[in-house]
Amino acid sequence: MTEEKKPEERKKRRTATEAASRIGPMVKATIGGTVQAREEGKPIAYSFICCCYDEIIRAMDIVPVWTENYAGVCGAKRDAQRFLERAEAENFSRSLCTYALCGLGFDAWREELGEMPPESPWGGQARPDMMLGSGQMLCDPRNKWYQASQRYMPDVPVYDVGLPWPPYEDDYDYREVQDYYVKYIVEELKGLVQFLEKHTGRKMDWDRLSELVDLADRTWNLIWETYELRKAVPTPMGTGDAMNTMVPMVFMMGTQEAYDFYKELNDELKHKIANKEGEIPDEKYRLIWGGGLPAWFALTDFNYFNNKGAVFPVETTYRMVEAIYHFDIDLSKITDPLEHVAWRWVKFWTYWYDKAKKRPGSHPDVERLIQYIEDYKIDGIVMHEAFSCRSWHVGLIWQLNQLKKVYRDIPSLILESDIVDISSYNEADTRARIDAFIDTLEAVKSRGR
Amino acid sequence: MGRKTKVKNREGLGGKTTENRGWGSKIAMVYIAGIDIGSAFSKAVVMAKNEIISYHVMPSGGDYKLAAEQVAGEALAKAKLSLKDLAYTVATGYGAANVSFSNQAVTDISCQGRGIFYLFPSARTVIDIGGQFTKVFKVDERGRAIAFLQSEKCAAGSGRFLQIIARVLQIDLEDIGDLSMKSQNRVDFNTGCAVFAESEAISRIAEGAAKEDILAGLHRTLAAKIQTMVERIGIEPDCAVVGGGAKDIGLVKSIEERLGCSLLLPEEPQIVAALGAALIAGEKVSH
Repeated sequence: MTEEKKPEERKKRRTATEAASRIGPMVKATIGGTVQAREEGKPIAYSFICCCYDEIIRAMDIVPVWTENYAGVCGAKRDAQRFLERAEAENFSRSLCTYALCGLGFDAWREELGEMPPESPWGGQARPDMMLGSGQMLCDPRNKWYQASQRYMPDVPVYDVGLPWPPYEDDYDYREVQDYYVKYIVEELKGLVQFLEKHTGRKMDWDRLSELVDLADRTWNLIWETYELRKAVPTPMGTGDAMNTMVPMVFMMGTQEAYDFYKELNDELKHKIANKEGEIPDEKYRLIWGGGLPAWFALTDFNYFNNKGAVFPVETTYRMVEAIYHFDIDLSKITDPLEHVAWRWVKFWTYWYDKAKKRPGSHPDVERLIQYIEDYKIDGIVMHEAFSCRSWHVGLIWQLNQLKKVYRDIPSLILESDIVDISSYNEADTRARIDAFIDTLEAVKSRGR
Repeated sequence: MGRKTKVKNREGLGGKTTENRGWGSKIAMVYIAGIDIGSAFSKAVVMAKNEIISYHVMPSGGDYKLAAEQVAGEALAKAKLSLKDLAYTVATGYGAANVSFSNQAVTDISCQGRGIFYLFPSARTVIDIGGQFTKVFKVDERGRAIAFLQSEKCAAGSGRFLQIIARVLQIDLEDIGDLSMKSQNRVDFNTGCAVFAESEAISRIAEGAAKEDILAGLHRTLAAKIQTMVERIGIEPDCAVVGGGAKDIGLVKSIEERLGCSLLLPEEPQIVAALGAALIAGEKVSH
């Protein structure tokens, strides 16, 4: 068994907003809360972000353990290697999703010991009573990870909820088939509710679920409006902070706490804008984080960009909401909460389809980049290829190529490493690439002067 | 790409020109230097009046600070100068931070761009085959890098690939190019990975393949990797090749074959970044 000494924590990333600086303690408290909930006998579910079931589990007072989040915390604390190595020793390939590997290694170790592995980051990941997987496009760990976890917890049941959305094609209108997708998702969610009722012995409170769905709608709108404030020049908040402020969006949706967090962030950003207080004092280059999960162990790279005069007013990663009132259907008229959630899901993923169809050769992901480049006055694109994550990272180079073809050539940088596996990362090389990229940005900008 | 004639810069490294692309015409006998501490080799160029007066290349070894002092010392000794004679020094490369006597550090693509502009003003695409990475970048009409790509962290596509194979074949690195040109029956490799290629090369030796045929095959593999990078960034003529890997004529020929065009090749491609650093240093003193 691997029992390496816990590595020293690195210097924390410098945040621009007070709201972002509160996230670390919030996550720590949440993770600690799941361990305590386990001791108190509350039902606990391993959960994935962006799976439509936030309000459902909240309405039934089931405590979610966000396993991707815990792997990210291990990565950020540079304490994931021992769990990755444990998973490898269990015969899982190192080329699999490192969120999953980290979680599987942790589970294998915890189940073997009957207690948390020594010095587990932030108290460890609580043993679940159930695991809620998801069949969702390319991300195969969402339905295979928890099945694999059953090797160590055969007594813990898994439910996989299928969450498809209509694929993009430029020669048909997805609306022709959207009803079928919604019906399918509703049936999946009904099955999930039955599963949860069976394994918790609790009955769904449908009125409460409706209230939480409405709260989530309002939170979506508030997040969208708050993030739109970042269009300001200088921008009051960058992607480095957004990698923190996404926590209430993806781990606390359907809670009043999440709504209140964004209300406070909204107020803080408005205050900064009124005082012309940018993320950095001298903003020279405005960049978009145009794809890819971050290297959680290297978030200080955002500070490195800042030191070079570069800010990220916008990102596509973890911007998992749109304004509900921009959808082409009135969700408020859909009173069935499961149907409401299903429509919100389908409309979110198809949001950029119509725009893409209007520009030959474009694609929804490309169209989204174009819109953000225009709206946020962007000078360059940065993407991150995390070797172990196919679903978020496949097609990044293609997107850049299409962007060049259908829009314009814009300076771009692709960073390479991973989400959790620090052995993939070379700080000197990464920063040399950033330096070179800044040089190209300066050259391109000076050509336009 | 219309140009089919390979051009070497005139009059050695200095690339004398009637245009004033440098700083030397404004000042007299001010010595400046560019120091490029690469992962494999360190290079120093000393200039005066827009002309190279000396240069030196040596392995970087494991101590970049020492390498910087030694390579600068050797270049200065050739010019009968010492550090105190230098008006300005610019450092670049992987170990630039270790050049304690420099006035400034500048990124290697900016230095490469500046150096290539001095040698070949018509170059718009530059392939830099370094010891650790290969970079492909585009430069504008003033030699400024406006887009770049760098190879992955692995050794595929870099000079390290050639170093590994030279060791396996027990030949000197500088002999690879000429030897590969004698190939009559190129061995095709199934991998672009340096580690797998090493194993494959050993297998081919065991099968009796000639060294020159193995080298020609490896050049083909390396050239294919570089070709994908060039295509990703979009080639714009003229295209130049620099870096230590460009001293391998067999590799340069393979890249030309893959790209279907001739490449601009400096007489001493390994010192272009140091040359660019020196030119930037010269601009500093002239301002």
